[in-house]
Amino acid sequence: MFNKILIANRGEIAVRVIKTCKRLGIPTVAVYSEADADTLAVEMADEAIFIGPPAPGESYLQMDKIIAACEETGADAVHPGFGFLSENAAFPKALEKKGIAFIGPNPHAISAMGDKLESKKLAAKAGVNTVPGFKGEIVDDQQAVEVAEDIGYPVMIKASAGGGGKGMRIARSEDEVREGFKAARNEAKSSFGDDRILIEKFVEKPRHIEIQVLGDKHGNVIYLNERECSVQRRNQKVLEEAPSPFLDAKTRKKMGEQAVALAAAVDYDSAGTVEFIVDPDKNFYFLEMNTRLQVEHPVTELTHDIDLVEQMIRVASGKPLEVTQADMKIKGWAVEARLYAEDPYRGFLPSIGRLKRYTEPAEGDAGPGKLRIDSGVREGDEISMFYDPMIAKVIGYGKTREKAIDALSHSLDRMRVDGLQSNKPFLSAVLDEPDFRSGNIHTGYIEEHFPEGFNGTLPTEKQLKWMTAASAYAHVLDQHRLAHISGRIAPADEIEQLECVVILDGQSFAVEVQLDDLGVAKIWIPALSTDPLELTTAWRPGLGLFEGELAGEAFCLEIAPRTEGYNLTHRGYRARALVCPPRTASLHAKLPEKEPVDMAKLVVSPMPGLVVSVAAEVGQEVKAGEALLVVEAMKMENVLRAEVDGVIKTVSAEPGASVAADELLIEFE
Amino acid sequence: MKAVLEQLDAKRKAARLGGGEKRIEAQHGKGKLTARERLDVLLDPGSFEEFDMFVEHDCTEFGMADKKIPGDGVVTGSGTINGRLVYVFAKDFTVFGGSLSAAHAKKICKVQDAALKNGAPIIGLFDAGGARIQEGVGALGGYAEIFQRNTLASGVIPQISVIMGPCAGGDVYSPAITDFIFMVKDTSYMYVTGPDVVKTVTNEVVSHEELGGASVHAKKSGVADAAFENDIEALIQVRRLIEFLPSSNRENPPSIDSFDAPDRVENSLDTLVPPNPNKPYDIKEVIEKVADEGDFYEIAPDYASNIVTGFGRLEGQTVGFVANQPLSLAGVLDIDASKKGARFVRFCDCFEIPIITLVDVPGFLPGTKQEYGGLIKHGAKLLFAYAEATVPKLTVITRKAYGGAYDVMASKHLRGDINYAWPTAEIAVMGAKGAAEIIHRADLGDEEKMAAHTKEYEDRFANPFVAASRGYLDDVIMPHNTRVRLIKALRTLRGKELSNPWKKHDNIPL
Repeated sequence: MFNKILIANRGEIAVRVIKTCKRLGIPTVAVYSEADADTLAVEMADEAIFIGPPAPGESYLQMDKIIAACEETGADAVHPGFGFLSENAAFPKALEKKGIAFIGPNPHAISAMGDKLESKKLAAKAGVNTVPGFKGEIVDDQQAVEVAEDIGYPVMIKASAGGGGKGMRIARSEDEVREGFKAARNEAKSSFGDDRILIEKFVEKPRHIEIQVLGDKHGNVIYLNERECSVQRRNQKVLEEAPSPFLDAKTRKKMGEQAVALAAAVDYDSAGTVEFIVDPDKNFYFLEMNTRLQVEHPVTELTHDIDLVEQMIRVASGKPLEVTQADMKIKGWAVEARLYAEDPYRGFLPSIGRLKRYTEPAEGDAGPGKLRIDSGVREGDEISMFYDPMIAKVIGYGKTREKAIDALSHSLDRMRVDGLQSNKPFLSAVLDEPDFRSGNIHTGYIEEHFPEGFNGTLPTEKQLKWMTAASAYAHVLDQHRLAHISGRIAPADEIEQLECVVILDGQSFAVEVQLDDLGVAKIWIPALSTDPLELTTAWRPGLGLFEGELAGEAFCLEIAPRTEGYNLTHRGYRARALVCPPRTASLHAKLPEKEPVDMAKLVVSPMPGLVVSVAAEVGQEVKAGEALLVVEAMKMENVLRAEVDGVIKTVSAEPGASVAADELLIEFE
Repeated sequence: MKAVLEQLDAKRKAARLGGGEKRIEAQHGKGKLTARERLDVLLDPGSFEEFDMFVEHDCTEFGMADKKIPGDGVVTGSGTINGRLVYVFAKDFTVFGGSLSAAHAKKICKVQDAALKNGAPIIGLFDAGGARIQEGVGALGGYAEIFQRNTLASGVIPQISVIMGPCAGGDVYSPAITDFIFMVKDTSYMYVTGPDVVKTVTNEVVSHEELGGASVHAKKSGVADAAFENDIEALIQVRRLIEFLPSSNRENPPSIDSFDAPDRVENSLDTLVPPNPNKPYDIKEVIEKVADEGDFYEIAPDYASNIVTGFGRLEGQTVGFVANQPLSLAGVLDIDASKKGARFVRFCDCFEIPIITLVDVPGFLPGTKQEYGGLIKHGAKLLFAYAEATVPKLTVITRKAYGGAYDVMASKHLRGDINYAWPTAEIAVMGAKGAAEIIHRADLGDEEKMAAHTKEYEDRFANPFVAASRGYLDDVIMPHNTRVRLIKALRTLRGKELSNPWKKHDNIPL
């Protein structure tokens, strides 16, 4: 097919493409910016070419540098991955001039689908259902109102060039249309430099369901059924699955055929995705077409036994499709979670930095199903501020949806991410949530179920048992070895059965532990179980994951031992455990609970540094995410932002002041 | 006979009640435990052997003759922590506000004497109102007796003070002489003179908390080595600290069974030091990845955070870690860091705890504030401490080791036993840019030439090999092997014998 493939991308997707190339025996070239010199993709590729500073505009988006890298290494094809240059029609054109193949669709298809207005017109012409709306540009607010009334409220006002929720407004009345039109146009202009606006019907409680298509250069196009990506936060997909728990065979076929019709209309000759929104009555409307490999492509691969990257390489080299529509039967279920470096407890603010501890469970068997992980990082790597803070895609699959979800939860439990905060607790909480479990989802699912953001979940009885047992075991293991510490003045009593109390977030559980052997214990927790619970575990002090079996059921917790107790996390529930002798526990009850300081209301310096500027004033009202001040440390400017909406009470920082780590800079009322 | 036994029982009950139910309740109301309750938490269950339960004061002034409570405001005795002997005294705030009388002082002196004689740590729990004013000079004498014993015991047995309530005036100096001071947040404070006197003398209005609260001493003054949320957490941490310490300078530090493999490699350490020399990283990651089970007991975490000090274990044996922290002021040595480091190094040397030093230091902090503050003498304390220490000294240079700070941080020249460097180490008199500017002063105006000179200096010294070629380093090691190499090195030093010339005592630049 090709002699050498250059991957014009980074991180997880670069690794993903390299893996397929290796399997196919095609040598690979990675390109990397200054920030990515020591990454896994660079290590895995046969060759690696440096292409400039960390900012994508100076490296991964520089066509000249990528083409020069191809020429230097003799790569005769480029896989663009997603993002960066993947949907820039000028890129395949530039490659073509140098005789380098682009592993993606033809430039015409890219530009035709790249413009929202243009693609809608094309879709309508190809017989694809489109959202009722005005097929054209709206000139002023008066016209906006007329169009809105014609379509019927509610309507969506959005930027033609938009994406990611920017320049989007929902309007339910004339006033809202006028206001929304102006706001959307301003945002569109400032964000995209293009103030064209369109108006269409706003679909309530829509689901986001997309069809994967695959075409070749010989006019063949097939569809690989659907993926549902309804669980989104601010228009960013969080969980994706295939198939959709909502579609029936008839609707699936109709959507698939329309997607193929649209692809055929632009001579689509690679892997692509036609996105639809589907209303509760299973009416579906075309949203847009993505002319690239999607982030969530693994769920389709797993349910169709296909390697989409391999298919892209084949068709790009001019080979006809080796699979037919009839082959595209859905096998089992797959659910993907995007593990991000962000803090779900603090409004999902990015939490970039070094992965001090990072471990992935092995791919393959995972609980009742199987696991696939697509990642591009190793322990010790940096999640950089310059790029998307995705750490990994974790995909569970199995015979049924339930098994796929369980496999995913099981695997997330066994991933360790430390040094920065990840959205793992949030992902796990969603996977356990009954509406998600029953497939009752829509694009407003997260807002509906987490209106105040994510504040953790309440413990289940099982979680209490696991945490109590794990912390009691950890304590007893320590007590046993301390019984043999050197320098004792009296021989230690052989501890047969140790009584202790586990204080879990203020709740006390009397526990008795009998350590039968290293890793095997009987645990009595009268408040939670009448029978003793048999615990088996390979955990030992120093491990961050406490994996074991309690009363025959497997579980895995995160444990951070040896603070004033243990910090424990299981999915959405995190707790602090203090384990002590009964007498100490009874005294503990005499101490008043201290009100925890609401850290969200304090802005502290993350590291020692110099205050560069202060944008906040006392009495000022600020919104979550608003920049408050800039602290420079080691020549790096850190923008500190508000974590919550609020009014500023005190500002104790002034420009030029040097501040210590954790020093209080701003306080909210 | 039975009557006598019953009488003893009744007397004990009365003594155990201290200042009575009402005062005990008031103590709980303030979020504090009583002296006896605290000892229950601190010591192994059932191990407490009380001394002097029936001691009473002999003061007759100001109507004190008929106000006597057995124990006289302090509970003393011995007990065990994980089976190892410790001596304790706990001030009882419910009895005369824990104030110190001559009799009270004598009780403390008795356990101090026993601790010193029998070679066991002594732990004092403070929660008291100072000297008993009715007694006057007797109380003053009592204080000095305690200070004298604290001083004689220094370096012989570990002495730990926990401030769990007020601690003012004469009460502060005994903790000040001891090895470690812990405080409890919100309920404890410590100062020489209280807010009232401060106002009278200086007109300064200040609260107890602002003047001597736990956060003041744990962060600003460095008087406290740690601050904890409540009595129980503080006492559990004292138990933890004792697990690391030998009972006296006549014994080796305790060892426990380690669950950690001595040959554990940590590949991620290979990428810890960033390529950009000005970018910080967290040196504690090295400590946590090197120490057994990642267990690091940090001393004074919130004070002078540009130097990190604390205890850990290698193969179950206690070691002390001292490390420059690039995350904080680039790891520079200033007055506070020098004092903090020096005191920790000297503690380790007193008690035969091997010292592992991790070096990434750009030098001493320049400026008038530092020079006027006496950086020269304070910096010399750290130098002196390392130079006189005879315990095994292992050093790993991770990045910068510039100038005099290189010498100070347990260099080969200060009798470092094993000195390693990571390949990212730079051992030089100063940073390349500054060095080039001095050597090539004539070319200062010419940017291009200066860049070339800087590069030349970098190429020459921004690596560990020049120092290694002189034998200043014993080896250049792979970061991922740091734990393995330190463990192997430490094994060779078990029989180390080294002593300093006879002297009455040294004269460290205080």
